[in-house]
Amino acid sequence: MTDHDGVRDLLAAWAFGALPPAERRSVQPHLAECESCSAEAARLRETVRLLDGPPANGTQAEPAVPVLTRALRTRPAAPQVAPHAAPYAAAVSGLRALLPELEGKWGTPVVHDWDAHATLAHLLAADEHLAVRLGIGARVPASRIEEGAAWEDAWDRRTTDVIAHEHGRDPGATVADWSAQATDLLATPEARDSELASCATLLMGIRLPVSDHFVVRAFETWIHTDDLGRALGLRVPPPPEEHLGQLVRLAVRILGLALGPTAPPVLFAITGGGEWVLGSEDEPVRAELVLDPVDFCLLVGGRYTPDAVPRGATGDEDAVRNVLERAAALAWL
Amino acid sequence: MQPTGSSTSVPSAADTELHRRLVYGDESALTEAYRIYGGLVRGVAARVTRSPLAAEDVAQEVFAQLWSRPYAFDARRGSLRTWLSLLAHRRAVDWVRGEARHRKHRHADDSALHAIPDAGPGPDETVVDRERALLLHTALAELPQPQREVVHLAYFAGRTYRQAAAELGIPEGTAKTRLRTALRTLAESLADPPDPALERSA
Repeated sequence: MTDHDGVRDLLAAWAFGALPPAERRSVQPHLAECESCSAEAARLRETVRLLDGPPANGTQAEPAVPVLTRALRTRPAAPQVAPHAAPYAAAVSGLRALLPELEGKWGTPVVHDWDAHATLAHLLAADEHLAVRLGIGARVPASRIEEGAAWEDAWDRRTTDVIAHEHGRDPGATVADWSAQATDLLATPEARDSELASCATLLMGIRLPVSDHFVVRAFETWIHTDDLGRALGLRVPPPPEEHLGQLVRLAVRILGLALGPTAPPVLFAITGGGEWVLGSEDEPVRAELVLDPVDFCLLVGGRYTPDAVPRGATGDEDAVRNVLERAAALAWL
Repeated sequence: MQPTGSSTSVPSAADTELHRRLVYGDESALTEAYRIYGGLVRGVAARVTRSPLAAEDVAQEVFAQLWSRPYAFDARRGSLRTWLSLLAHRRAVDWVRGEARHRKHRHADDSALHAIPDAGPGPDETVVDRERALLLHTALAELPQPQREVVHLAYFAGRTYRQAAAELGIPEGTAKTRLRTALRTLAESLADPPDPALERSA
């Protein structure tokens, strides 16, 4: 390449002021002796000069406040709540962030036989159980559920009824009800006060402190947001590290209960933190199993089969399979 | 084979993490985004609008958009810096075009041919320069995205073409060529007839 071609190639970057010093120094001598490059350089510089405009006078660091105020008016930040409710507050905010992308796409198939509208209706139904327990009125007419029905049946019945009800309405109305109920849940004293949230209550067939039920709500909201994102071809980021840790710890506890005290013991680890012995405490550990925290949640949420979930495992394969199958069978959502 | 620009860049860990916090409604992520990119966004907008107040307005709109529609940004398709810079530029061009239309109507209304535009050029700028600048920024906003990305990094964000290439994950020669194609297109747009919406009332 001749000097001429080399410099010619650099002229646009030179005019934009985007040349490293060494190359910048190579341009000037050539311009002095080459008329055509010099004319081109002048033309490009003039173009950049016009883009530039006159020197700016005093647009230095403005306070961030007005900028953030307008932003926060368009979408409120996740509310300040007690640590046990923070994952739910964030998950609700995360789903709200996805809602604009669903505009005009409410009929998109998502999961089970639900479209996007039904998925949101399901969350309205699922959050309602805790909402009612905390004294918030149901927004959809009551279902006829027989006294003493198994919790799964009552749960399914309610989801079916709410989906049917919501399919008769505009998706915007479902969004509004889901969103208002979530706001109400996060405004309850139980969301803001750890002590109040420590009393146990029976929901979804399991007796847990209210604080844990808030974590379960976060879990389900995130998993379904992830479902919606996949259906739209959008990657939903996993919950913030700290919240993910709370989801994992609760899921491990419930998995431990489900396995019971006599299962063949497995050393279970989550990458990035957490190690538990699951199963019998009286026998030597038979196997080790390592899962990524997001993968573990997806397994417990029924989004991975035991065979498909990526894992690191050593030792007794049957013991490992037992843990994976039990985790998948929690069928949490 | 040349990479196709924006679609091939590897998401930066910092962008991915900031985006995650924005998605989950963490207000401090918005403050942080403003701290890092507020200057760039206001700078781009001020270049186009020539007005600090308008630039502030554009910046508000840009950060409100990032916050309320975080999924409009996809870290797999380019950096947050480039995305915000492109958005600020487009919004600023829209703002100026809106101003120009507005002014034209006002002039037509009071048929005051001597009326001086109130957001007019400062003492250092002629009316002609100002109109040509708007023409250029409009043309810039319409360049193909891969070219626009390099221009934004090299020109607005003050990167050398080599740094811009690294940031976009493209060869340096490609960055140089894109700058050249872009700037030539802009230079030529000055020779084209102006957008009717921008013509002053005769």
